[in-house]
Amino acid sequence: MRVKPSLVALTHFQAMFLFAFFTSLVFAFLSKRGRGERAKYFLWTFLLFLLVGVGLGWLMYPFPR
Amino acid sequence: MAEASKAEAKAAAPVGARPYVLAALGWVVPGLGHLLQRKFDRGIVFLLSIGTMATLGLAMGAKVYPPALERGQGLFVAVLHLLGFLGELGAGMFYGAAWLAGWGESYMSRAVGDYGTVFFLCAGLLNLLTALDAYDIAAGKKE
Repeated sequence: MRVKPSLVALTHFQAMFLFAFFTSLVFAFLSKRGRGERAKYFLWTFLLFLLVGVGLGWLMYPFPR
Repeated sequence: MAEASKAEAKAAAPVGARPYVLAALGWVVPGLGHLLQRKFDRGIVFLLSIGTMATLGLAMGAKVYPPALERGQGLFVAVLHLLGFLGELGAGMFYGAAWLAGWGESYMSRAVGDYGTVFFLCAGLLNLLTALDAYDIAAGKKE
């Protein structure tokens, strides 16, 4: 089976960063009204996405396969 | 209070637009349901965020789940396939374009492709949430 080359190749961290960024942005605009509230909610969910992602990565570190 | 909010929603929506029509338009084009109700900030953010996620996913080689099941799939894989298809279908025009044009992969070929599938699937799921939001706004259940 021939594998098509992917147009974009992101590192694990870049992919996680972009995923967290866009998902948090949509959540903030869906659930909050007002600039301040949205900014706070965006930052909170964005940081949580990154922290939980890195945390889970560390937890899985002893089990590479 | 609810009546006033329903009247406001009716005034903001284009003439004759029913909530389910706006939700359907929001599903086809992310953010369109909000843009038609003059919620420009939300509409633009949804269009750009979901559009970028879907495009990045496809560019990374996302697996695009076709509507038809593959032959010889077990029940568990068939259920996963169906869930993947329904989630990706949520991306509206992006799923339609990918399916018709044959973009993306028919299988997960590499780690980047796996990430791409997650991006594309989540773009679809987020778009379903924004379409429901457009429905709620048009029905006067939400600002």
